[in-house]
Amino acid sequence: MSKPVLTVRNLRVSIRSQDAPAMAVDGVSFALREGEVLAVVGESGCGKTKTAESLMGLLPTDTWDVQADAIELDGVNLPMQNEREMRKIRGQEISMIFQEPQTALDPVFTIGNQLCSIYRRHRNKNRKEATLAALDMLQQVGFADPRRILHSYPHQLSGGMRQRVMISMAMACRPRVLIADEPTTALDVTTQAQVLSRMTLLGREFGTSILLITHDLGIVAQYCDRVLVMHAGRIIEKATVHELFTDPQQSYTRRLLAAVPQVRTA
Amino acid sequence: MRSGRRLWTQLSRDKGGMTGFIIVLFFLLLAVGVWAGVLGQDWSVANGGRWESPGAEFWFGTNLLGQDVFQRSIFSVRTAFEIGIVVAVLSTFVGAILGALAGWYSNTWVDGTVLWLMGVLDSIPFYLFVAAVAFALQGNAWAMQLAMIATFWTTTGRLIRAEVMKIKSREFILSARAIGLPDPLILTRHVLPNTTHILLVQTSIAFVAAIKTEVILSFLGLGVHDGVSWGLMLAESTQEVLAGHFGNFLAASLMLFTLVMGFNLLTDALQDAFDPKQAAL
Repeated sequence: MSKPVLTVRNLRVSIRSQDAPAMAVDGVSFALREGEVLAVVGESGCGKTKTAESLMGLLPTDTWDVQADAIELDGVNLPMQNEREMRKIRGQEISMIFQEPQTALDPVFTIGNQLCSIYRRHRNKNRKEATLAALDMLQQVGFADPRRILHSYPHQLSGGMRQRVMISMAMACRPRVLIADEPTTALDVTTQAQVLSRMTLLGREFGTSILLITHDLGIVAQYCDRVLVMHAGRIIEKATVHELFTDPQQSYTRRLLAAVPQVRTA
Repeated sequence: MRSGRRLWTQLSRDKGGMTGFIIVLFFLLLAVGVWAGVLGQDWSVANGGRWESPGAEFWFGTNLLGQDVFQRSIFSVRTAFEIGIVVAVLSTFVGAILGALAGWYSNTWVDGTVLWLMGVLDSIPFYLFVAAVAFALQGNAWAMQLAMIATFWTTTGRLIRAEVMKIKSREFILSARAIGLPDPLILTRHVLPNTTHILLVQTSIAFVAAIKTEVILSFLGLGVHDGVSWGLMLAESTQEVLAGHFGNFLAASLMLFTLVMGFNLLTDALQDAFDPKQAAL
């Protein structure tokens, strides 16, 4: 068994409020191992996204209260880092892609402009080196004509293309951990497959562990190694994908599996 | 940013917008002509008789001192443009910066201070404020411009504040933070460029407002002191119209009317062309 890259112990996230604080994440612990794809499944509002955002340190502290015994990335405890150090870690060591590729890219700049700025910022490359690296990266996420993509504006690309651009941006610095928050929910099924296979392929190639947040059990079965089932802010079941589908332990997990519509032939 | 060519095609399809564009361009050429020393240079020379009638030599007649009214109205284009450009650019700039800061740091003391400042400036009657500034900076040629900038930025500031508050909750801002960009860079690189449509329209609105305000202030004796402007010409004409001399009155009001109308047409067309909801169609 490979060693853990990201270890989370007793993560608690709550909304700051005058009256009773509302817990969004209530004592979550898990370990993400090197090179694996770990799925987090659960219904809407069960705390999947808040778990991800708190790992990145992206929750505004004036409205959210994040506490944890430990969030360790390669032995570095993230909550102990100040904002300046966190900025270095974000994008380089741990990065994230979001649900809506439509709004996750800045509409007024070209893809090349946005992708190159990552290389220039985190890798200190000059304009020419950054462009070459960006072209290479776009090719790796499956664009046949990266030069055209580089000069395109986000509105000129389809949803699947934009999500692949997002993956190229998130993976640009070969991070240790990639958090993908429902990356394909807004896409149709064929595009979904294309985007996810590119993402997992790159993950394996770069040695990036992926935390894949989803509510689609079909995706879990196809792309993931292990699964965490979340319900009401807690992890109620941890299992390998095989175990989960053959022998679910919790009644909630069984109901979740039963909720997937099946095609039956009479 | 958004492709200029598309903007141009949209503008050229808009008849009113094109009319406005041509009018503004024409006035811009006049202003450039005055700057270059080609047009309206004889505005202060008194080479005619008192109140001569319009004719081949003096198109709009002469004034009390025998100066050519037409030359004066042309030279005033430069006065109008100088004030319009300075006020429009600076007031929009101040509004953009302060509005963006207030919107980005909303519900903090930064936001509170900027909102308070806007509230205070907006609550002072405008002409009283200008008179106070003019009095405080006695003889300073920039008193009028300063007063306009100090009051015009609040509208832009409020619009930008609201837009920034909207933009900062969009996902591309979150993803910019997720790849490790610091706040000031996000604000200047990703938030402000997304407000250019508002800034451009606000600049053109402020330009017209500044020109109109200059005329009113000069008419009241609070504006231009050395040089000539349509407002000064109108002030002169109050005595002349009763005596039946319409040169100053007609020249200044026609020029002002044409320029302001042309600019309003252009602004309307720009607003339509920049509207992201229309662009999406």
